[in-house]
Amino acid sequence: MPLHDAHYQHWEGTHAGVWARRWVIAKNGLTASLHNKFVRRVAVVCWVMGLLMAAVIFLLGQLLVPDSIVVRWTAQMGPQLQGIARMLTTWLLEHPEMSVGTTQDVMFYFFCAYLTPLSIFALGVTLPGLITRDLATNAIVIYASKAVSRGDYFLGKFSAAFGLLTVMWLAPVCLAWLVGNLLAPDWRFFWESLAPLCHALIFGLVLMAVLSGLALGVSAVSSKEKWTPALWFIWWVLGGVIAPIAEHTLPWLRHVSFTYDLGQIELATFHFGRDFETAKANIPVLGEALGHIPAETLNAINHPALGGSVAGLAVMLAAAAVILRKRVSPE
Amino acid sequence: MSSAPVIETEGLSKLFGEQRALDNVTLKISPGSIGLLGPNGAGKTTFMKCLLQLQPITSGSARLLGREVGREGREIRKRVGYAPELNCHIPGMAGCEYVTYCAQLSGLPFQAARQRAHEMLDFVGLGQERYRKVDTYSTGMRQRLKLAQAIVHDPEIVFLDEPTNGLDPKGQAQILELVRSLWRAYGMTVVLSSHLLADVGRVCEQIVIIARGRVLVQDTLENLKARKSGAAEVVLASGHGEFQAACRGRDWLCELLPNGHLRVEHNKDSLNPLLELMHELKLPPLEIIASPNALEETFVQALEISHAAA
Repeated sequence: MPLHDAHYQHWEGTHAGVWARRWVIAKNGLTASLHNKFVRRVAVVCWVMGLLMAAVIFLLGQLLVPDSIVVRWTAQMGPQLQGIARMLTTWLLEHPEMSVGTTQDVMFYFFCAYLTPLSIFALGVTLPGLITRDLATNAIVIYASKAVSRGDYFLGKFSAAFGLLTVMWLAPVCLAWLVGNLLAPDWRFFWESLAPLCHALIFGLVLMAVLSGLALGVSAVSSKEKWTPALWFIWWVLGGVIAPIAEHTLPWLRHVSFTYDLGQIELATFHFGRDFETAKANIPVLGEALGHIPAETLNAINHPALGGSVAGLAVMLAAAAVILRKRVSPE
Repeated sequence: MSSAPVIETEGLSKLFGEQRALDNVTLKISPGSIGLLGPNGAGKTTFMKCLLQLQPITSGSARLLGREVGREGREIRKRVGYAPELNCHIPGMAGCEYVTYCAQLSGLPFQAARQRAHEMLDFVGLGQERYRKVDTYSTGMRQRLKLAQAIVHDPEIVFLDEPTNGLDPKGQAQILELVRSLWRAYGMTVVLSSHLLADVGRVCEQIVIIARGRVLVQDTLENLKARKSGAAEVVLASGHGEFQAACRGRDWLCELLPNGHLRVEHNKDSLNPLLELMHELKLPPLEIIASPNALEETFVQALEISHAAA
């Protein structure tokens, strides 16, 4: 049978716009990432954590409900925890505008801090699917010969990483906030918790943008599928080890760790130190319990190294941009 | 169909460090099937890559489909297809997913892209393999796939870089037949780059010979053959001896080739004397190939001149 018994047909339709083409690249990247079973499992863990966070917010609200199970639990606790719970209940009743915001700020701070390593892990696992494999199979030439520019390609790949972090990080945060406050006994919880949500979103967007950019850069370092995740995890772990050591010797060296830099930005975004002080002032029992925290730690919480961290991340992102420019080319 | 040039270059040069890959190339090429001929490293691929903006032009200018290369990249590539020489694909996809994805990257909406992907896979003979992962395709299947992704968005011009590399003779013949049909049957301009003269001679009507980054020859195959007229290859069913004797009687050189064809040097501009002889002998020809080696001779001659000039 001659090959072209199947006749060629001309196409006379309207072309989709450039954003549709960028979306196709992003969607393809995200779908490929979610095909990875490790990533799917990590996503499930993140969503379960989101539901747990919602449960914690729900339980906090239950402090205001007389004879609720939470109130009965606290009655059975030791005198110190019982005291904290009672003071918290009083504070929630008398100053909801301050107490809800402060408590949820602290809760979301820790929640975000726990979600971050999971997101970094998931991103590391999916790194080869971003650019590494395209380099290995010369797919860059195919992209470059289509109606997309190099900028469109980068934007699509960046959006794929950003989309993955939305699934891993942003969605569980929003889920926790929405479900937790929906189940609260008072609608004021919604309004008073907007500030913590905003803090989480601001930090989240910074984190997602930075991690996506860095992931693209690392993904383009090599065309070997094992090397790029290895580099990512080594950088992550090594940075985590170096940062506390460098604290007292070479403080600037702390900023080679992107998790340290992001941690500092998180502290600054949530004003964690200020929340801490507010809580201590309003719940004296808590103040006594936390009074043993070393001054050095408190100072680190109250004065995060924001400038250095922003500069550190900017340098890393610039390096990622240089790598992308040099490595991702059809030539 | 418009006969305005599809490719126009003016003093196009491309340098890789000190090495001059393209040297002051000035061309005007009309729609059709165009063969880019040249030895390995002549600059054929670089020429195509410069036109497609896969490599920046060092100096000079180029226009593709009437648009300035370097300024309207996306718009040009929407109307252009490219099947590169090197093995390349987007990993982890089945054949039809891959071609659909390529169509979407060229701006086709999903439904149209999916439909055309299936049509193109049938067209290139990969219909049975459409759901297999591209990573598991053989060399021949990948060549067909490259062709499918290059034409899935119905481009006005398609660049094919050594499309028969790695194919067995049957596969080569099928692909060349397919490529030939793109222009002759469907009006799509084809630029075929190859170092295989037979491939180009079989498919293309216009020939551009490049060597050392320079254009040595640009003409139609018909004109090249006319320049080298005076010889023909004749295929006869029987009567070879009788025909050879008759040729000798006219002082024409006639030799039997290993493939059973007879090569006759009749030294005339027209094939009429040859046809008259066969008529007299009542030997109907199965096939007559006029100026069978015109392309080879032109190619070799052009290279010799180029070497002598260097």
